[in-house]
Formats: sequence, structure tokens, C-alpha cells
Amino acid sequence: MAATLEAEYVFGAEDLESRAKVVKFAVFQRHEEQGAAQEHELASFEAMMLPHLDAAHNLARWLMRNEQDAQDVVQEAYLRAFKSFSGFHGSNGRGWLLTIVRNTSYTLLKKNRAADLTTTFDEEIHASGRESVSPAAMLEHAEDAELLKNAMNELAAEFREILTLRHQEELSYHEIGEILKIPTGTVMSRLARARAKLREYLAGRMSQEK
Amino acid sequence: MNCQEIKNLMDAYLDGELDPIASQRVEQHLRDCPKCEQAYEVETAMAHAISQAAPYYKAPPELRERIQVSLREAIGMPASRAATADDSFPVRRPEAVRRGVSFDMPWNWLALAAAVILAAIVASSFLPRLRQPGADQFLATQLIGSHVRSLMANHLTDVASSDQHTVKPWLDVKLDFAAPVVDLSGEGFPLIGGRLDYLDNHSVAALVYQRRKHFINLFIWPTTPADSKARETVTREGYNLLHWTEGDFTYWAVSDVNVSDLQNFKRSFEQQIPPH
Repeated sequence: MAATLEAEYVFGAEDLESRAKVVKFAVFQRHEEQGAAQEHELASFEAMMLPHLDAAHNLARWLMRNEQDAQDVVQEAYLRAFKSFSGFHGSNGRGWLLTIVRNTSYTLLKKNRAADLTTTFDEEIHASGRESVSPAAMLEHAEDAELLKNAMNELAAEFREILTLRHQEELSYHEIGEILKIPTGTVMSRLARARAKLREYLAGRMSQEK
Repeated sequence: MNCQEIKNLMDAYLDGELDPIASQRVEQHLRDCPKCEQAYEVETAMAHAISQAAPYYKAPPELRERIQVSLREAIGMPASRAATADDSFPVRRPEAVRRGVSFDMPWNWLALAAAVILAAIVASSFLPRLRQPGADQFLATQLIGSHVRSLMANHLTDVASSDQHTVKPWLDVKLDFAAPVVDLSGEGFPLIGGRLDYLDNHSVAALVYQRRKHFINLFIWPTTPADSKARETVTREGYNLLHWTEGDFTYWAVSDVNVSDLQNFKRSFEQQIPPH
């Protein structure tokens, strides 16, 4: 009924029966109330989620490996988050948001290039220098930002995300497990594999530079 | 423990995720075994490098605007109030309804005013009951609020110094109690400075420590009978709060670092303060 009344109103007839006017005003007013409620919800959503924008962007940027995709992902993730915000009653807003950012990233990654999700590993590049780099040399080069960034970008998505969540967001195993939907034990073993791979890639790149 | 076992536990040890007994055994082994010790050093250096040298991609300001605009668009609210005067966004309301809502703004402002008044009523009804159930939640909110403000308003410290002998006298003059101040640089939590803060209707000391790129606010005040009932850890809105009572004082550490880091922080702090 509301729809037909609205439709009448849209046609702009001014001299309507008073009964219809009253009903229409009620419909109209309900619109306004809904609007106010939505704005109120938006305000509390923004207060809770916008402080985590940097974390969201950083994760998306590491997953997508380019700025444009990262921004699209974050925008889409915020929209998705807002739509399901009424169902969110937890206390960890950052974890909840990062979960959505991650899911959104994977949707786009899958669409763009399925190959990226599995561990891509070029034996030829990395096999060469694995044994020849000493721990001392490793220590020396570890702070080389460019080298480190490139090596990290070579890792599979599941390793990139776990390294950034652990070392940049400084989340606990438990928090990481909640975001990645894996048990704590798996967080530990995946982190260990991620670090081992990163060491390998760093060693490979260092021996190439020689 | 043999080297293989250590290798398996090393990552969890590095991340502070081992229980104290296992940690101790790993430490023992690392002291005795140069090979594992070296491997651990490489691991630590790499972990440090990722947090320090790898780029942290902050969101550009225009992304925030984009998001705010698209959120308003999603609920059919004029986007102009968010960030932009660009009028190219599709208008979802039928034209006639739009014409009718010239009092759109006042209505929204009324709703906002109502929300503010409601918040004020809720807050004022809480204030006299600070020491009753629900007070913990309220205190946590205040603590997080103070932590966030200290980071946002460029007002992290009143006295910026990594020297405890500068910070302590400064605070002692301002407060009616002598809060313990220690530097924890050696433990990875360098002291940044101190601040006078106002919480729960009284002045408190806030010490600011750094943990890598993150800050920890440590709030200190003399313990009252109600304080010790508070829960030990609280996690809210992505912030972790750790609470303890020691000697005459109540401590609340607030930060976005993880709980195990906060617990390390607490341990280090307790070890450094002179015994009573």
C-alpha cells in the first residue's frame, strides 16, 4: 500500500483526500525516521571502522600488489562491512574489518589471476644462492628495504598476508587465526614457512646481486 | 631439547607465543648451542626488518573521502556533506519526494541533536555509578578514549623525555602521589615521556612507551578498594587493555599492540620498579 501511495505522491496531485494525506504523511515520516536511523548507524560505523583504514589499506596493498586494486578493494570492503555492520557485536573491530578486506581481496585476486593464489616459485632464480649466503651477510642485508619489499612481493598471497598481519599489525596468533579462519597451530606453521621462504628469496636475490 | 625441536618452536618463541616453561627451555638451549643461537639471530633480524624496513602502506587521504562518499551514496544521503561538491552521483530518490524534503536537513540535525542529548543522558547516568557494575566498561571506554586522543591530538606527552629522572619529578610536582617511572629501553619498550591525564574524576599519571611503531599509554593512580575487581585484560575496538595492581598503585596499559606484548611490558615494568 505504501508503494501505491508513494506513486500517487510522485505524480504530484495536490488536492487529495485528507485521509490519504494523513497516510502519506505517515509513510513520508517513516522514510525520514529510517533515514535518521541509517545516518546514526553510519556515524557509529565510521567512528569504529575508519580508524583502521590504514591497516585495511596496508593489507589490501600487500595482497593486491598494486595501489589501484588495493583502493578498490578497501572501498568495496567498507561497503560490505557497513551492510553487515548491524550483525557485528564483537569487540575487535579491526579484526572484523581485516577479515572482510581479506575476503574482498581474494575475490578480486581470483577473478584477476588464479595463479597468484598458489605458491609461485621459480626454482631457477632461487635455487642458486641458497647455501652460499652466510647468516652474517643475511643480517647485513635484512634491512635493505627495496630488497626486502621485492622478496616479500614474490611470496604467495597466503605468506604475504600472514607476515604483514604478524609483523606490521603485530597481531597475536589467535587474532591472526580468527582473520584467516585457521587454527592457532596452523598460524604458527604457516608463519614458519613464510619466513623460511622469505629467507630463501632474500638469499636468492642477494646472490644474484653479487 | 634437541636442535630440531628448537627449530620447530623457534617461530613461536620469537613471537612471544610460547608458555613460560617452553620459553625457558628454548632460552636455555639458545645459550648452549651457537648454531641455533645464530639461526635465531637471523630470524629476529628478519622479523625486525619486516616491521621496520618493509613499507607500511598508509591509506591516501583521497581514499578516505572516496569511502565516505560511497557509504553515503549507499544510504541515499547527499554525498556533498561527506567530502565533495561533485554532483555527478546518481540520485536515488524519486524527484517528487526530493522536492518534498526541503526540511531534510533540519530533520537530520534534530536526529543528531537527539543522539547527542541521549548520549549525554546515558553518560550522566553512568557517572555517579562509576564504582558499580558497568564501571569497568565505562572505565575501559575512558582509557581507550584517552589513549586515542593522545595519539591524534599531537598531545602524546607533556614532558617528552626518555630519562626517568626527568619525567618522575615533573609528574610528582603535578600529582598528589609519586608514581613509579622506569625506562624500559633495554626490554624493547623505550620511555617516550609523561603526561598528566584526567580519568574517572581524578588526575592520573600517564607514561608513554613505544613498542616498535606503536605506543603504549600506561595510566597510574593510587588504588582504591573498587579498583582491584576489574578484569585483567580487556579487548575493545582493536585495542588491548591490561590491568594490574602492585603496591599502592593501579595500572592500566592501553595500546594496539597484542596482549602478549603487553604482558611482556607488564613483566618488564614490574621487574624494574624498586621493591616495597
